[in-house]
Amino acid sequence: MQMKRFQGPLERVNDYCWRIPKSYKPGMRVDGLIYANEQLIERICEDPAPEQVANVAFLPGVQMASLAMPDIHWGYGFPIGGVCATDPLQGGVISPGGVGYDINCGVRLVRTNLSANDVQPQIELLIQQLFDNVPTGVGRGGKYKFSPQQLRALMESGPRGLISRGLATARDIDFTEGQGCLQDADPECVSPRALQRGYDQCGSLGAGNHFMEVQVVDQVFDQAAADVMGIKPGMVCVMIHSGSRGLGYQVCDDALRSLRGVPAAYGIELPDRQLVCAPVESPAGSEYLGAMRAAANFAWCNRQLLMWQAREVFESVFARSWQELDMQLVYDVAHNIAKPEDHLIDGKSKRVWVHRKGATRAFPPHHPDLPTDYASIGQPVLIPGDMGRASWVLVGQQGSMEKTFGSACHGAGRVLSRHAAVRLSKGRHIDEELRQQGVVAKARSRKGLAEEQPDAYKDVDLVVDVVDKANLAKKVAKLRPLGVIKG
Amino acid sequence: MFTIFPHTADAGLRVEAEDVETLFADAGRGLFSLLVSNVDDVQPNVRREITVDGDDLEYLFFDWLSELLFIFEDQHLLFSQFDVSLQKGGLRGVASGEQIDRDRHRLEHEIKAITYHDLKVKRTDQGWIAEVIVDI
Repeated sequence: MQMKRFQGPLERVNDYCWRIPKSYKPGMRVDGLIYANEQLIERICEDPAPEQVANVAFLPGVQMASLAMPDIHWGYGFPIGGVCATDPLQGGVISPGGVGYDINCGVRLVRTNLSANDVQPQIELLIQQLFDNVPTGVGRGGKYKFSPQQLRALMESGPRGLISRGLATARDIDFTEGQGCLQDADPECVSPRALQRGYDQCGSLGAGNHFMEVQVVDQVFDQAAADVMGIKPGMVCVMIHSGSRGLGYQVCDDALRSLRGVPAAYGIELPDRQLVCAPVESPAGSEYLGAMRAAANFAWCNRQLLMWQAREVFESVFARSWQELDMQLVYDVAHNIAKPEDHLIDGKSKRVWVHRKGATRAFPPHHPDLPTDYASIGQPVLIPGDMGRASWVLVGQQGSMEKTFGSACHGAGRVLSRHAAVRLSKGRHIDEELRQQGVVAKARSRKGLAEEQPDAYKDVDLVVDVVDKANLAKKVAKLRPLGVIKG
Repeated sequence: MFTIFPHTADAGLRVEAEDVETLFADAGRGLFSLLVSNVDDVQPNVRREITVDGDDLEYLFFDWLSELLFIFEDQHLLFSQFDVSLQKGGLRGVASGEQIDRDRHRLEHEIKAITYHDLKVKRTDQGWIAEVIVDI
């Protein structure tokens, strides 16, 4: 299949929202709604992503609408940037494709008390040290090796289990979404193959769009919220983007295989095999959920260990302990996950399974799931942009609860295929170009860097603007990159 | 013969061959060309035998590629030569290659998984065609 422009109907709801009516395809149970402005929607329709929004509307038990965030792009099955909620009491399903292969891929932000002036003279050394010490790239494992038994324990506890090993603090756990642990994880549902793929990968970055980036706070838009998070202009931060590595990929792969016959057994008709699903309340559904939760907890351990290694490198480069450098976790968010959450639907509170495939939870102030310190400001929403321009910190707003099951965007969203990005970089040196812009970039693969160049992504400012104007999340701070390591 | 076709976030692999065995073998090579840019330099020193059960050609194709990907990740083996025979009830394949040597092999993409999205294996007037999107 080639990249085909979306030809279906699209109705303007308002300046920031577009509807694909459920009359578009027989089988759609609800409308599709895409959050975007006029400029972005034009781009979004250039590939089949809106078709995928319509396809998700086929899922049994789907509530309100199949949603897409402004960073939506063509995925496999679900669009990247897709959100949907299903009600188990109405035959609602769980779909592994709605979580993705990289279960609990997500982002964390760590602050420091260093200024750009402190770091700039050392930036080459710092990035080199991060590159040498943090495992990156295809098939690379890390320095932490866990036996199957230890892995199983971590998959049940999440990073809390790393405290006793001196690799996490209680504060780190408090500032991780859901304290870094999905309840009822069942490591017994994780296959030996997944354990084999994961045993040496906890604490490794991986490749593709994963990264560890040293950034500086460029601009603050909400002083009060920034104060609560302890960030201010000129401050250096570290942003980490990774997920559950081979373990999570294998859990998803195993589930898609074992669910092959399930939709037919329950009389569920789907327009795409990648949307394969099982009723939440079914043996097949429970088995996937047990394994998915375990992989999600593994991913939080992975990001915890990546942060720990970043702390160690900063300690060695700046000759101070990480506590002296105030390298505290601002927050950690998942953007590929499914969770049971309470939402008001048609005036009734319902416990639904919210699938976020390339979308970030964005709970508003005073939501019970927030850390106490953030109760007054709302949940931090961390939006990596691209390695040349910017990344953002936002906080969740009430509008997200009313419109998007408490969700916002997760990034800038790709605009060029990897193929097109490589073609565009022919005869250029992306690392040199970035250096000219003041960003030191180190990657194992030259092609990988070309594929991830800034031009491959939408302008994150436009994406964030839509989320802000639609009242899903509010701008707090804009960060710009100083240096990045990639696979 | 294989080609890589564009997909926004991931990569598409299209394979065309005269017979279905060559189709599967060339798909293996296409997969490894995404993992390592100089797949021609991978020496066929180590052999792994792979069997996949099933009758549905598309699922067999998917499972064959998934199996190769798993061996790559688990045993750190790169493959460059493939020999496949299809029988009733499944396939038997032999993949030949060598251990990853980061000085000689230019590793490029991390493939998270083979996906079912738009997966097809079809007979054409000229022979066979297969398309698959891999998650990167």
